Amino acid sequence: MKVDIAAVGLLGPGFDDFASARPVLAGHEAYVRAPAKIPPTSLLPANERRRTTDTIRLALKVAEEATADCDRSQLRSVFASSSGDMDIIDRICDALTQPEPMVSPMQFHNSVHNAPAGNWSIATGNPAPATALSGFDATLVAGLLEAATLLQADGGKVLLAAYDVASMATFRRVRPITEPFAVGLLLAPAGDGRPTLEMALGESGDPTPCRQDALEALRGTNPAARALPLLEVLARGEGGHVTLAAPLGRSLEIRVTP
Amino acid sequence: MNPLVISAHTLTSATGTGRQANADALRKGNSGLRACDLESVRLDTHIGRVAGVEGIALKDRLAPFQCRNHQLAELGLRQDGFIQAVEAARARYGAGRIAILMGTSTSGIAATEQAYHRRDPATGELPPDYDYQHTQNMFSLADFVATRLELRGPAMVTSTACSSSAKVFADAERFIAAGLCDAAVVGGVDSLCGMTLHGFNALQLVAPGPCRPLHAERAGISIGEAAGFFLLEKADSGAAGPRLIGYGESSDAHHMSAPHPEGLGAARAMEQALQRARLPAEGIDYVLMHATATPANDRSEARALVHLFGADSRATGTKGLTGHTLGAAGAVGVAQALASLERGFVPATAGLDQPDPELQLDARMTAEERDIRHVLVNAFGFGGNNCSLLLEAA
Repeated sequence: MKVDIAAVGLLGPGFDDFASARPVLAGHEAYVRAPAKIPPTSLLPANERRRTTDTIRLALKVAEEATADCDRSQLRSVFASSSGDMDIIDRICDALTQPEPMVSPMQFHNSVHNAPAGNWSIATGNPAPATALSGFDATLVAGLLEAATLLQADGGKVLLAAYDVASMATFRRVRPITEPFAVGLLLAPAGDGRPTLEMALGESGDPTPCRQDALEALRGTNPAARALPLLEVLARGEGGHVTLAAPLGRSLEIRVTP
Repeated sequence: MNPLVISAHTLTSATGTGRQANADALRKGNSGLRACDLESVRLDTHIGRVAGVEGIALKDRLAPFQCRNHQLAELGLRQDGFIQAVEAARARYGAGRIAILMGTSTSGIAATEQAYHRRDPATGELPPDYDYQHTQNMFSLADFVATRLELRGPAMVTSTACSSSAKVFADAERFIAAGLCDAAVVGGVDSLCGMTLHGFNALQLVAPGPCRPLHAERAGISIGEAAGFFLLEKADSGAAGPRLIGYGESSDAHHMSAPHPEGLGAARAMEQALQRARLPAEGIDYVLMHATATPANDRSEARALVHLFGADSRATGTKGLTGHTLGAAGAVGVAQALASLERGFVPATAGLDQPDPELQLDARMTAEERDIRHVLVNAFGFGGNNCSLLLEAA
């Protein structure tokens, strides 16, 4: 499968957006670790904005960035997250241990895995399908396959947002996601002078590490950060080959042409 | 779209374990709902509980997956020769060429709820035997099914609340068309847990008695659990069976937990399914509605039906039998539609002794015996996430 990357969104520790991260990803500037800052989403009205969670804001931040220059009104979208809103799961499971469990209605409707997808369609007034999925540590690849097959089926552009917040203390041991991280990719049909990904499922294979040690240390902190080796290639503006881990121990082999 | 043949399938719900029991209940209108008798949840409501889930032990390579959701998945997989059908397909296509695309809304969260009850009182640590990856993580259902069926094709879990296991049919069509796989095992599993029972209760969407879809005095949902699985193959593969000939997906872009009042998103999903199948609205024998039995949901969906098919179109709502099985609702709806296509009847809408005249639908309390060729199945979820599937008789 062949798709173009029309735009990229990025948020993570030391990364505020793809444009400012590009010199670091390309190896021209040193990576400086700093806590990730998840901004409020400007697309939602104030009333809705107050109801958002870190997970929703994180997903919408990279979705917004990757689609800044495109028509969002009919854009199909894929929201990919390993774990969903673990902060809410924590609060609800905690409430359920009480003798008279009281679950917050707002927390409950935000607990669904597609809460960011739903908020995105509301924020952009967009009736196109929006989906939400998981592939555990290989969530990024599950999302890439879903987005690429959507594009292959009906053409047009497709947004992929891959994101996970850091696990809170209770889950840190059982699910060590230690940094929030999100990447947005706007996929477009191949052949318009943009970077092209040619993707094929492989039997198995070790994922490509990051070129830079500091980024390699970041890659394992979050399923969405598995995109870093691909982002390095895209940032350099050169071609290359990247192997990403796919679900069930398979691999996704990606040939990038600039 | 290229039609897909549904060459094997199975359903386990509160109305029975396996296809025969479910089809019988669907024809007779026998409800599987009962007063909530879960040990962990004390709420004045009815539930659609599957018998025998607790007795399923997952052993050896399946042992890490032990939790209610995967016990229910295992119980479901064992019915109707489904495992044998997948084994034959695996021999034909290879384990790496069959996709595993599953839908669930809450995965194995009951395991996490139990672990929270057993947290270390001093440190708050979760118990050492709690396995997050293989129980609560959203992907664990696809992981379990792939492990159980020894498959290694492209795999993922779609989790879009109550449309989850309808959308996986659309995913399968696209994955096969893109050449990622030759066949797909799709399905949905959701199981009873404290989070959904208390959550829907907090939203005041739960009926005190058994839910009554499309009824003039409907008062909310009854939550159920179910597992449904389907083997999908290309039409030119030589496989025989009923076919998926259309799908439609849309977003309401309206509200997180309330449907669009005019059912715009629902209508769009149904329209797309008809377009992909190149079938006019008149070609549909009846619509197997999402019909959760909340006043707003049924009204919104009915308006979409009236918009597309005109007043008094033939429709049915089956959640009075099984309860609303959330992420498994799409799989339940498809399996029920297949029973109706195979055996020739329009399913009963259980408890419908007083249809809501405002809905302008032809829905009936008893099943109607007649040949069925095409059924549209709806599944809609929180976030305004809609999916409609069009099925054709073998």
